[in-house]
Amino acid sequence: MRLTYPHMGNLGIILKALFEGLGGDVIVPPPITERTLSLGVQYSPEFACLPLKINVGNFIEALEMGADTILMLGGVGPCRFGYYGQVQREILKDLGYNPKMVIVEPPQGRFKDFLRDLASLFPGLTVGKVVDAVKLAWEKMAYLDQMERALLVFRAHEAYRGAVTNKYNEYRDYIDESKDPKEVKALGLKVIEEMRSLTVPPVEEPLRIAVVGEIYFLIEPFPSQDIFKELNELGVEVDKTEYISDYVLSNIFPWKLNRIKKEARPYLNRVIGGHAVNTIGNTREFADKGYDGIIQIFPFTCTPEIVAQGILSRMSKDLDIPIMSLSYDENTGQVGYQTRIEAFVDLLLRRREMGSAHI
Amino acid sequence: MDIKVGIPRALLYYNFYPAWKVFFNELGAKVILSQKTNKKIVDDGVLNTVDEACLPVKVFFGHVINLKDRGVDYIFVPRIVSVEKRRYLCAKFLGLPDLIRASIRDIPPIIDMEIDLYRGYNRNVDREIDRVGMIFTKDMRKIRKAKEAAIIAQNNYEKHLKSGLIPREAIRIMEGAKVVKAPDSGLLKIGLLGHNYNIMDEYINMDIIKKINDFGGTVITADMLKESDIEYGASCYPKDMFWTYGREMLGAGRYMLDSGIVDGVVIVTAFGCGPDSLIKEMVEKEYKRRNTIPILSLTIDEHTGEAGIITRLEAFMDLLRWKEVV
Ligand code: SF4
Ligand code: SF4
Repeated sequence: MRLTYPHMGNLGIILKALFEGLGGDVIVPPPITERTLSLGVQYSPEFACLPLKINVGNFIEALEMGADTILMLGGVGPCRFGYYGQVQREILKDLGYNPKMVIVEPPQGRFKDFLRDLASLFPGLTVGKVVDAVKLAWEKMAYLDQMERALLVFRAHEAYRGAVTNKYNEYRDYIDESKDPKEVKALGLKVIEEMRSLTVPPVEEPLRIAVVGEIYFLIEPFPSQDIFKELNELGVEVDKTEYISDYVLSNIFPWKLNRIKKEARPYLNRVIGGHAVNTIGNTREFADKGYDGIIQIFPFTCTPEIVAQGILSRMSKDLDIPIMSLSYDENTGQVGYQTRIEAFVDLLLRRREMGSAHI
Repeated sequence: MDIKVGIPRALLYYNFYPAWKVFFNELGAKVILSQKTNKKIVDDGVLNTVDEACLPVKVFFGHVINLKDRGVDYIFVPRIVSVEKRRYLCAKFLGLPDLIRASIRDIPPIIDMEIDLYRGYNRNVDREIDRVGMIFTKDMRKIRKAKEAAIIAQNNYEKHLKSGLIPREAIRIMEGAKVVKAPDSGLLKIGLLGHNYNIMDEYINMDIIKKINDFGGTVITADMLKESDIEYGASCYPKDMFWTYGREMLGAGRYMLDSGIVDGVVIVTAFGCGPDSLIKEMVEKEYKRRNTIPILSLTIDEHTGEAGIITRLEAFMDLLRWKEVV
């Protein structure tokens, strides 16, 4: 069995550690490129959301490399994600591939079932092996998240263009290769310091923007043409509302969502699927924390985020904070939203100047 | 003075209007329906919703604005989460009242009754209905009666639909009009798949049913099929389709294909619709693999031109007729 799964930011590194630790033969799909995208677009339904299309591209490229088993998450709606795997299976079938598709249906909060499903893929498992694999994957997740958090701040002040990004990429590879949780931790802590040392302190108080929106877009930079980097390179410090550990933990412990649901309530009364309730709740939180602006990113046709988008435009007025919504499809080309993002940053700068002039 | 409740003639109006109307009437309220979809309603809707929203949601907004201008006391914007066990509606229905409140200012208060049968008809459902009933009366007996009357009306309505009537005919019959079902105008049986708010709103789909009739076809929709037929079709797929109307489309599409009760199928979806993007793919794939019954897919949005639809439909009907001859 040669196992593969779709890319989503650094999740691939974490899953590789987990599955290899469990004794699996893992084929990591090649990094997402224009080819991945165009393969996905060519074979997916026109109005499917972009993550589905990129998944399909990942699968095709991994199958070309000899993968024969695909691991995918399922779901019970109301968002489309729960049906992704079903449609993807049919698409691959028509292309003449016949991979085994293992679609893990997550009855919310029942991590045990998830583990059992997984175990069936890896014969010869021992408890010790599982513990080691989970420990390594967990540590990678924790430190990759921390690194990324630091990246999104330090890169705004890097000494020269690319300095921090390169350092981050270099260490991410080390972490990917490491088989030792202790080493992962040491690498993680070290790179944060190294990234810090590659910055120059900003002259003025930097702008801070929070990026909210659809989960795949928050975790995987490709489809937004790495809006995080783009903002950083305009000197803006960025925080995003979801990192991989948030995603994983809220799947295992659904009550983690309760706080956010409460925050969202005045504007959105219930969970409506996808991450809309997070988008709304987090926007309130970040507005309270004094961020200068909020940017919502999501795939074109993403139903939950479209609802959120409508609500955000009201919140922007109520909470007096600029909010910009950007929806992406495969045609949002390289220069796509660059001008809009620059204009938004200018607006925030002007607001700030006007604000201080009032004092 | 009776309290006036406005009901938007959009979205699930086509599926539940008789029940809603009876419910409010029994509570002593007068029901005001928004006008039929027209250009102004579409334009108002487009203007007041986010660009990314699908046409049906934009049209719904237009109808809410139409009601606002007609002096109603309340507007009924239910939050319809689920209309049957273990299945949902599209996320947009779940957030509809929130979206309306956030987007349209100065409207009469919204009655945002939550309809959630995901776990079956239980105490919470009752409590929610009572909450809404109490806007109109303190008399619990009256509320219970209204509830029961609504359920009866809904059952009648669905019976009419199963008998082959389309919503506007069934609604007229229930309001006392005599409707004589027009004799089958054509030899060709056309399966018409799509959400009712897409296939039954004559304005946004350029009256597709009439066009099919004019070209010599009779329409069969999912509503007219037996539940067991839909179940048969839906169960051909390994995973239960968790959207109610998605499942209907998928199941009806598959049943029509396997049973061959139709000569051709027309599937209508809204531009940018999330759920339908996947359902349509699943339906179409099977039709293409078998290549026995032709399928025509039409996408509608606010810019859809009548000419385009006519040309494609006409060509499609010609193809079916030609197939018949061969
Ligand atoms: S959240 Fe949006 S993008 Fe993600 S699967 Fe659902 S509809 Fe698609
Ligand atoms: S199912 Fe499609 S058309 Fe209907 S509300 Fe949802 S996105 Fe719009």
